[in-house]
Amino acid sequence: MDAHPLLSDYFEQPAVWDEMFADDAIRSQYKNFVAAIENILPEEMTRKDEQAKKLFMAQGITFTVYSSGEGIEKIFPFDVVPRIIKWDEWKHIEKGIKQRLKALNIFLTDIYHQQFIIRDGIIPAKLIYSCPNFLREMVNVTVPFDIYTHISGVDLIRDHDGTFYVLEDNLRTPSGVSYMLENRSITYRIFPDLIPKNNVLPVKDYPDRLLKNLLSLSNRQNSNPVVVLLTPGMYNSAYFEHSTLARLMGIELVEGRDLVVENHFVYMKTTRGLEKVDVIYRRVDDDFIDPLVFRPDSMLGVPGIYWAYRKGNVSIVNAMGNGVADDKAIYAYVPDMIRYYLNEEPILKNVPTYQMADLEKRKMVFETMDKMVIKRTNASGGYGMLIGSDATEKQMDEFKKAIEEDPRNYIAQPIINLSSSPCYIGGKLQPRRVDLRPYALYGPEGVDIVPGGLTRVALREGSLVVNSSQGGGSKDTWVLGS
Amino acid sequence: MLSRVAESIFWMARYMERTNRMLRMLHTKYISSQDEITDFSWNSVLKTYSDKPEEEFVLFEKDSSKVLEHLVTDRDNSFSVINNIIRARENARSVQDHITKEVWQCLNEYFHVIRDPSIEFNIQKGDPVTSLEILIRQGMLYNGTVDVTMAREEGFNFLNIGRFLSRAVITTDLLNIKLTEYNYDLKKHAEDPTWRFLLYSLSGYELYLKTNRGNLYAKLVIEHVLYNTDFPHSLLYSLTRLKRYFERLKDKSTPESYSQLEFRIGRCFNNIKYSNIAGNSELLKKFLQEIRGELFDIANLFNKLYFGNT
Repeated sequence: MDAHPLLSDYFEQPAVWDEMFADDAIRSQYKNFVAAIENILPEEMTRKDEQAKKLFMAQGITFTVYSSGEGIEKIFPFDVVPRIIKWDEWKHIEKGIKQRLKALNIFLTDIYHQQFIIRDGIIPAKLIYSCPNFLREMVNVTVPFDIYTHISGVDLIRDHDGTFYVLEDNLRTPSGVSYMLENRSITYRIFPDLIPKNNVLPVKDYPDRLLKNLLSLSNRQNSNPVVVLLTPGMYNSAYFEHSTLARLMGIELVEGRDLVVENHFVYMKTTRGLEKVDVIYRRVDDDFIDPLVFRPDSMLGVPGIYWAYRKGNVSIVNAMGNGVADDKAIYAYVPDMIRYYLNEEPILKNVPTYQMADLEKRKMVFETMDKMVIKRTNASGGYGMLIGSDATEKQMDEFKKAIEEDPRNYIAQPIINLSSSPCYIGGKLQPRRVDLRPYALYGPEGVDIVPGGLTRVALREGSLVVNSSQGGGSKDTWVLGS
Repeated sequence: MLSRVAESIFWMARYMERTNRMLRMLHTKYISSQDEITDFSWNSVLKTYSDKPEEEFVLFEKDSSKVLEHLVTDRDNSFSVINNIIRARENARSVQDHITKEVWQCLNEYFHVIRDPSIEFNIQKGDPVTSLEILIRQGMLYNGTVDVTMAREEGFNFLNIGRFLSRAVITTDLLNIKLTEYNYDLKKHAEDPTWRFLLYSLSGYELYLKTNRGNLYAKLVIEHVLYNTDFPHSLLYSLTRLKRYFERLKDKSTPESYSQLEFRIGRCFNNIKYSNIAGNSELLKKFLQEIRGELFDIANLFNKLYFGNT
């Protein structure tokens, strides 16, 4: 490998796809970047690394961890080395996600109306009706333009041969897009000139595209509809993102207590009295959005908003009830949905998924548990998960017991070796595992994906868990122009 | 503008004004405590800026570094500077999309500065003036950032209403603290050189000298603090500004709310402007109490009519 001190210790791991190296050579998309940092001394790299941390801290790009009374502010760890994606790789991803979202969206329309997919025996009815996120309240509710998944973040991983797999579809309130934007603005600061020289496609118009879609959802014949972003409040860990997006779009950031429903219309309380609201980009979960219909103890929602929505007097983004489509058990059926609704072969592969409710599969999984990842179907954030290769006998037994008690709520997948990408850790480049979450916007004119996304990285050596709550960090993600 | 947002901006400004005035006052007071006065006590300051009962703070009221620690970095004292900054920042955080990024970053930085261990170290064991000056500078940075970056919209009006309302309250309080130290005996202290400490803590000493060449006279100092409209911390100046920023809200208000508050603010303004009490300690005492009450009435009306808290 290269004689450069930064790269001297970089080692390839067997059976892992490395984003930068292939057979001891640097991949074409990284050549420019490596050439540029080759002349940077290690001390200087460390300074850049520290500068990035300071920039995050000074801008208050932090999330709060509440352990003892006053919260501790932490920055979401950022790695200075960008993850670089080639144009043709990106085109493939883009096409695949568009196809997938189209199918998922038809699925949501179908499942909340005629349910052809059940009648034709593609998906068992039991699976749908046993899903806690299937909202009976949404049955026969018509949503504007039949769009449910206005904003989605599809998690992609890469196996040892470089094939992209979809790990998860996040169709409810995916977060992290502000990090995509901030990471890029930090990279500008620490590597001057590098972005234009590499022909990196811009991500900055994400807020504009999102706002355009939100405006088009207004039901009112008005040239200036009122769009608001509904946040659970400043104690939510993603509050920074909510306020950033509201600011970048120039819309009002509201909390549940700022809104009131009167006569099935939604209003916000202003210093001049009540003002009507047309579109709500909500970052509050379904369960909490209306205490009169869902959780009665919710303080975050707006009483009566569900009926205003049902009557079409307000648009809510994303639609309610999307959880049925990104349930981890339904996930296994997405390739079938694509074939059924679109009559196409899936472009992006699914990770093979075994339903624990299936006796035979369960037996097979129990026998090879050390090669499996077990997940709860409704957990996220890296919780409720067991990675077989790292688990102790005791943990495995606990999971087996839990699965047998409630098989519907567990799935198993073979462990996929996430691809690795170089990270600047301890004064040199070291490989760490990464995933990729591009953000797709679904508007009346189709699906739109900004070139890039959030690359999450498992900063602990050998770890496969990239979630920020489990010691993960992020990187800037570059998609190179053609 | 959302009522909640208006309220948060209003309170952010109030906490910052409090922070800045408190720091200046502590700075002056500390320096004067080191300078010639024997048997110096922080009692009158602690009465206003500590949430502890008197029997607790009398135990350390003569220990300057303990007092400063209690008033600046003690999180258990809910009126301490650090708690003011934390609250200002929490308010700013919930309205980040209505203040500029620069103002938010400035407040965020203020929070990180006061939590820096060197601030506490200097107050406890080193030179408290250094710590106070670092904090005062950060406060001036905040004021400058607000003036240079904030759009002159509704939010800016609420910010200034909060700022000048607090300023009026603090000026009233500081004058009251001073007079209490003299037992409201204006005759005995008519030419007391320590009047200048009041002017220092209100950043008004230089202007006083320019306006009233020569010695310090109680009556002139009090008139300066109450009525001088060229002096940005005088009571009348604060009310003039408060009135002006309120008037700008006219087309953003419901007519009923506006007229109710206009009446209150106007009355308070006139009560100050057309008063003549600087030489009479009895009247002065009553006057300060009344004005304080009127200022709180104004704050309560904003709370009720503009922030939707009934």
